[in-house]
Amino acid sequence: MAAICFDGVSKIYGDGTCAVDSLDLDINEGEFMVFVGPSGCGKTTALRMVAGLEEISGGRVVIGEREVNDVSPKDRDIAMVFQNYALYPHMTVAANLAFGLKLQKHSKAEIERRVQDAAVALDLEDYLQRKPKALSGGQRQRVALGRAIVREPAAFLMDEPLSNLDAALRVQTRGEILKLQKRLGTTTIYVTHDQVEAMTMGDRIAVMRKGVLQQIGTPQELYTRPANTFVATFIGSPAMNMVPAGAIGIERDALLAGFRPEHIRVGVAGDGVFGFEAVVELVEYLGDERLAHVRLDERLLTAKLPADQQLETGATIAFTVPGQAVLLFDAETGLAVDAAS
Amino acid sequence: MSAIQDWQGRRRRGAMTESQQGLVQSADWKRPSVRWGLGGTQTALLVLLVIVGLGPILWLAKAAVTPTQDTLSNPMAIFPHGADWSNISGAWNEVDIGLYIWNTVVIAFGSWLCQIVVATTGAFALSVLAPKWGRVITAALLTTLFVPSVVLLVPLYLEVVHPPVIHHSFINSYWAVWLPAGASAFNVIIMKRFFDNLPREIFEAARIDGAGPFRLFVSIVLPMSKPILGVVSIFAVLASWKDFLWPLLVLSDPSKQPVSVRLPTIAGQTDLGVFLAAMLIACLVPIVGFLIFQRSFLRGTGLSGALKG
Repeated sequence: MAAICFDGVSKIYGDGTCAVDSLDLDINEGEFMVFVGPSGCGKTTALRMVAGLEEISGGRVVIGEREVNDVSPKDRDIAMVFQNYALYPHMTVAANLAFGLKLQKHSKAEIERRVQDAAVALDLEDYLQRKPKALSGGQRQRVALGRAIVREPAAFLMDEPLSNLDAALRVQTRGEILKLQKRLGTTTIYVTHDQVEAMTMGDRIAVMRKGVLQQIGTPQELYTRPANTFVATFIGSPAMNMVPAGAIGIERDALLAGFRPEHIRVGVAGDGVFGFEAVVELVEYLGDERLAHVRLDERLLTAKLPADQQLETGATIAFTVPGQAVLLFDAETGLAVDAAS
Repeated sequence: MSAIQDWQGRRRRGAMTESQQGLVQSADWKRPSVRWGLGGTQTALLVLLVIVGLGPILWLAKAAVTPTQDTLSNPMAIFPHGADWSNISGAWNEVDIGLYIWNTVVIAFGSWLCQIVVATTGAFALSVLAPKWGRVITAALLTTLFVPSVVLLVPLYLEVVHPPVIHHSFINSYWAVWLPAGASAFNVIIMKRFFDNLPREIFEAARIDGAGPFRLFVSIVLPMSKPILGVVSIFAVLASWKDFLWPLLVLSDPSKQPVSVRLPTIAGQTDLGVFLAAMLIACLVPIVGFLIFQRSFLRGTGLSGALKG
């Protein structure tokens, strides 16, 4: 395993589009780092620059102790898992797994051992002689993972590897990837646009938007102390509610108040508790809780309430938010200011 | 019993699916006007196509084993005085058709090999390695398609007689046929179009796995390109098998000429029955070749499973 460092890395395409803008980021040895952000935010481009599949326009990428800007992909000691599997269709599963090892000139016995170990780890033993077309989506993705792990590389690069799987398989494979990464201890960069995946998998998460790193931190840090309104609303589902501070009784100009749906309760404002009145527009019953969509002035807010909380659609209800749960952001720049309490 | 019922059920389901996939639905076929009108038209078309397509070959087969006098006096009669199998042995021994077929095979194989090597490597360079001036080169290749081949005959002939660098004439050597055949812009362009559509992620995966350009070409691109290799091979072999003018120009030695050149040359001095038998033998080789290789030629793309669909 090896640490990976982005040192002012930029990617500017020929037409002037800046896909990644001066990215500074240190990924520790053995760390599971998740790049998350909406489509076009530059997360995949950043990953591909580590892989050597995109030229670096500016800055340095360092893997271990070595700058790899001008090193070819095969010499970077990395393995990549692609969104679309990218298996070799004319080769069997065993041949797919062994291809990289053969090119690295490992002995036949060593190749067989590693392929067998990977097949056992990924439950692919019964499929080694099959071709990819004879496998299900989940099995193909496991082969793609296996192709990465047999190489025993310094780092895994994963580009939305679960996005083509159905919901149930995604949850299952997510767990398998995590267990595998923890067991192998290999430094991993994992790209996803799914913030749930990011929150559940990453040791740390780097949130990107329009090529710019917005915030880096543990899932808890991003959730509880977002650096700006973008991170605040991107991380968490349902998204954080964002209203002018004055709407919930905070008398500070040009600020936005952000609070999570689970912090809203029905009740009247009091000491250390902010309050607002809103019209209930829709209530969704989810079994263990209710999601209430309420309108405060022109803004639609979401409240996550206990399942036994009865609300009448169309009624105007008083809600509260604890002061320590409210985050303040500059209305102009979107940057976090401080806590409201 | 149950197995028979199961088979019949599958057959019915299969038939229904096929008819539902066509332009005319199974419900439409139940209408008498559709059944008689469309069915009759289809049958008539089928008969016509069989007569036009298969008729000449069947006539040739008949005439090849019919005495010459019978063929001349009554060409459409079927063996009025019995068959004459000696035509076949005559074609083999007197005309030496075996030698010319062998020459044709050698010429076709060499031309095919040259075309495949040039087309695959050229297309790989333009599509996968994608050099800076690749688009310009592709455009230049495209423009050569607009030059009529007959215009190139004289310059190409001069090139073969006085090749650059080597300065040794290729006349009466198979290289005179093989090398010009390899210089096919059409093959490079259709091969490039196919390579353009191969998934880039697979190439990237191979590069990360450690494959350099040569390994990528041999182990990944070529095995994934069997369908287009089949198409180019058919074009190459057929064009070479049928080619008359160019081999006639550059292969003046009869012992090196292919069937396409030799048969017209000997037509005037050979018995008609023997000549037709030689023609039949010459026709059978590509027909049998196609029947043997048709599955691989007509097979699907073979990319299923590589990517999420």
